[in-house]
Amino acid sequence: MKVPISWLKEYVEFDASPDELAKRFTFSGIEVEGIENGAPSYDGVVVGEVLSIEKHPGADRLLICRVNDGAGEQKVVCGAHNFAVGDKAPFARVGAVLPNGLKISERKVRGELSCGMLCAEDELQISEDHSGIMLLDRSLAVGTPFSKAVKTEEIVLELEVTWNRPDCLCIIGIARELAALFGTKLKFPSVEFPEKGEQIEKLAKVTVEDSVGCPRYTARVISGVKTGASPVWMQKRLMLSGVRPISNIVDITNYVMLECGQPLHAFDYSLLANHEIVVRRAKLGETMATLDGIERNITPEMLLIADAARPIALAGVMGGAGSEIQDNTGTVLLESAAFDPRSIRQTSSKLGFTTESSYRFERSVDIRGVDWASRRAASLIVQYCGGTAAAGSIDVFPKKLQERNIACRFQRVNDLLGVSVPAGRVVSIFESLQIPVVKLDDSSCTIAAPSFRPDLMIEADLIEEVARINGLDQIPAVPPPASVIPDADDSRTRAIIALRTSLVGLGLSETMNYSFVSERLLNIFSPQDVGRRVALPNPVSADYAIMRDSLIPQMVEWLGRNLFHQIAEVSFFEIGKVFLKGPDGKIREEDRLSIGLLGKVGRSSLDSRRGLKRDEMFLWAKGIVEALHRAQHLNGVESAPCRASYFEEGGCVSISVGGQQCGIMGLVAEPIRKEWRMTEPVAVVELALDPLLSRFAAAPALKPAPVYPSIARDVAIIVAKEITHEDILHVIRRSAPGELTETKLFDIFTGDAIGVGRKSLAYSLVYCDLNRTLTDEDANRYHNAIKDALKNELKAEIREN
Amino acid sequence: MKPEEIVKLREQALNEGRAAATLADLEAVRIKYLGRKGALPDIMKGLKDLAPEERSRAGQEANNFKQQIGELLDARKLELGSTAGTVSKVTFDYTLPGNWRGLGSKHPISMVTEEAIRIFAKLGFTVAEGPDVETRYHNFDALNTPDHHPSIDQKDTFWLETGELLRTQTSPVQIRAMESRKPPVRIITPGRCYRRDATNATHSANFHQIEGLYVDAKVSLADLKGTLAYFAKEMMGPKVGVRLRPHFFPFTEPSVECDFSCHVCGGSGCRVCKNSGWIEIAGAGMVDPRVFMKVGYDPETTTGFAFGMGVERIAMVKYGIGDIRLLYENDIRFLRQFV
Repeated sequence: MKVPISWLKEYVEFDASPDELAKRFTFSGIEVEGIENGAPSYDGVVVGEVLSIEKHPGADRLLICRVNDGAGEQKVVCGAHNFAVGDKAPFARVGAVLPNGLKISERKVRGELSCGMLCAEDELQISEDHSGIMLLDRSLAVGTPFSKAVKTEEIVLELEVTWNRPDCLCIIGIARELAALFGTKLKFPSVEFPEKGEQIEKLAKVTVEDSVGCPRYTARVISGVKTGASPVWMQKRLMLSGVRPISNIVDITNYVMLECGQPLHAFDYSLLANHEIVVRRAKLGETMATLDGIERNITPEMLLIADAARPIALAGVMGGAGSEIQDNTGTVLLESAAFDPRSIRQTSSKLGFTTESSYRFERSVDIRGVDWASRRAASLIVQYCGGTAAAGSIDVFPKKLQERNIACRFQRVNDLLGVSVPAGRVVSIFESLQIPVVKLDDSSCTIAAPSFRPDLMIEADLIEEVARINGLDQIPAVPPPASVIPDADDSRTRAIIALRTSLVGLGLSETMNYSFVSERLLNIFSPQDVGRRVALPNPVSADYAIMRDSLIPQMVEWLGRNLFHQIAEVSFFEIGKVFLKGPDGKIREEDRLSIGLLGKVGRSSLDSRRGLKRDEMFLWAKGIVEALHRAQHLNGVESAPCRASYFEEGGCVSISVGGQQCGIMGLVAEPIRKEWRMTEPVAVVELALDPLLSRFAAAPALKPAPVYPSIARDVAIIVAKEITHEDILHVIRRSAPGELTETKLFDIFTGDAIGVGRKSLAYSLVYCDLNRTLTDEDANRYHNAIKDALKNELKAEIREN
Repeated sequence: MKPEEIVKLREQALNEGRAAATLADLEAVRIKYLGRKGALPDIMKGLKDLAPEERSRAGQEANNFKQQIGELLDARKLELGSTAGTVSKVTFDYTLPGNWRGLGSKHPISMVTEEAIRIFAKLGFTVAEGPDVETRYHNFDALNTPDHHPSIDQKDTFWLETGELLRTQTSPVQIRAMESRKPPVRIITPGRCYRRDATNATHSANFHQIEGLYVDAKVSLADLKGTLAYFAKEMMGPKVGVRLRPHFFPFTEPSVECDFSCHVCGGSGCRVCKNSGWIEIAGAGMVDPRVFMKVGYDPETTTGFAFGMGVERIAMVKYGIGDIRLLYENDIRFLRQFV
């Protein structure tokens, strides 16, 4: 909200620079977003010197002057006579735009060319004065910009008023805050005016059909008004406040709204059917055009102002076309009312726009101030537009207000704020804010909440008033003692931090993606999963329309996008939620971990030019998964072949822990890779987080390190190609004694020497007894048993060298 | 062997050792005198045949023999090795890049979150979590949000077909925490939130918050200020201070906003703090008694404070990140700087 400081001074005295004022506001709860000079820029208006004055040959009342504007001599036609040769005056050059919007151009006046204009004070919005041109100090240098020659500065504060303080959406409200902050008195303008017209009841009728939507409606009638421009001082204040002047009556309603926060509306009385006002809900199928000429769709829950025949305004939001003030309006019906904030908010959000009026009504107006605002506007209309006010007013205000008394205990103030505020100070703060104290004793006071303060409901609200006016800088900073909360458990958080740290140690970089993605991206991966996806009814854009049901699509997308940036090697992980719709329509969330590898991330840079093989890429990813499980104290991690639409056939396994499936990993299918022009294998993993974290807090079961020497024996076998490493491990483990402590694959070989359909694998087996030194004979016995088992069970051929 | 003979043999050995011209010659000397079948084992074996008086002297000389020859051989070995350069010296380019897999990086949002968890843990705060898909009750109503407050609007909040919504703040976790236990409660709630903001340099429809809640018998605004002051120093640096400004939130009363003094310029004004010397970081306040009533706490005997701050904002301020979108673009060249 724009607040001109000069306007504030009309209601409250204070002595502070704009910066100081801004600081006081900011630290008492009204944030100052800017301090600006709101005065017109006066571009093109300079100090001019009158060099000569002659009579206009074609018009008696006009003069022709020569003016030095610093750049040269200009000939101007002038209607004023209050100056002499040698006088200095504001001169608007050709091209200048005056504050009232007048653009100065070369033109002929009664046959004489006029190049510029000598300005009167009202033309520059300095004052009302139009009796002659504005005379300036003769010592001013010719050509000096007018804005420098005369102090025209008008400081305007841009305030951000919080939602709970509708009382501060006006100049008087802001002045009230200042009065409290500076300890001075608030002055109200006069609302007295003669009521010489007919009795109002004879002129108009008001019916409020919905007193919940409209708890108070007042109407005044002023007849015999003359429409025209409003006074310059008023136009100036409106413009400084960011409101465009229109005509005197409309300007007065806007002016009073800015002054006291009560939106008003003026109807042309002659255009109201039956001179009647009805406040009611819209009827089905009703339409109306608003002031801006737009035909609006109105729905039955919207509150309307109607006359006897048709809607004439969207209550509290915008007036209608067809009942507004005209150039020839002679009689005005002035509306001042209070509307239910919910109803106004509903209407304005349904129509998709807010106005100065709806903005204030949806935060609620001072219901007691409704009539004051009406009187204030009527007094200004009578004063500035002529006219006669009808006697009295119509005031439909069926439900009288309940007093809201709130007690405030002084000890509670001190306890909640953690600082001691004397009782006398508490009371004086309330009084300075015009919050009447109705009861006072040693330990507490009771206030009557004013109708302009809807935010004051409970004791804590009053304590806030004390805190902000007394100053938050008075509050000491006390670090609270960290007393223990016995059953607090943060092991899951620690497990996640440890997991993240492990991943970083394994060389992966963490990514972060939005929880919503485009449907297109998801469909690249698994179009068949449409049914489980959660769509947003009101997404910000199609790119963020669906809640993700997997972390994999975004992972692959970002690997691809980094490749676009010519990054050859990327290893990423992300920890985040997925959202799945169940058959019952309920939404389930699951925390997951994804991992993505692109390029030769597992190799030394000195070995990075060799082509990347699928199994190599797969095993890197598998190595990371194994390391993570180890870091989280998980044993018994198993993988089994599976299928997924986005993985290569054969290059995809499911991962399970303790028999429970908890994830999937594999090589991204080629058609998907092609979307991002990825030609080499790409590995992706997705794991459910909770199974992975399940044993984080468990202490690992320790085995003593052997003290007796171990014996290593190698075995190389030739088996059919279909036999897997895990098949071989199973056989070895089953046939080995407890003394087998390590089994390590150290060579794989295929080739002509082995034979088609066969492969050679070499294992190093280590035997050790915890209680004694093994003999060669022991080792041979164990080793032979294993060899026999491999021969028998896998038809392995043992390679003896 | 008598002591005198040992001395003589020692001198001979020392001479041969000094004369050795190559490492191979030197090794031959070692084998001849100290090797398994060399002179020294012979001397040691012979000791037992000597008279007791001679035996001890011979023993001493044998030790001298071993020590002096050993020292000479070591010295000569170094000498020959460095001049000949044939055996022990290796030549390689030590400026080659190290060849152990490098570290990855944590996301700046995670770094700030983990740091905040660490700091608040020192003050006794434990992490609490809740769902992203929330009920209107937990996200708005229980937090004393008036039903015509603009934040509830379709325009600002992602409502779902189930009637639930994507939480606009992590405050519903505070409600859930209070519903599930009696005071004292001291939690922080890091997590993801959603608001229907158009994405620009400072806004993102998907963002992260850390909120805190401390409820006990006598918690005051001074405790809140102290907690935030402690956090500011730990997070941004020892010289950083805080100030409070009054504000409005439906769920706290009084409500404040908290600024940190600028960690870059120290308060004198710079680009980071837009020349104000202060950076707006947190919203906070004393828990509104109406919120306590919703969760079944007695507002007479219970007081508490709550605060909330944007993780992205802290990360941007702390690391000098100019555009929030960088945090979600996952460019490895950006991310790997956060080690």
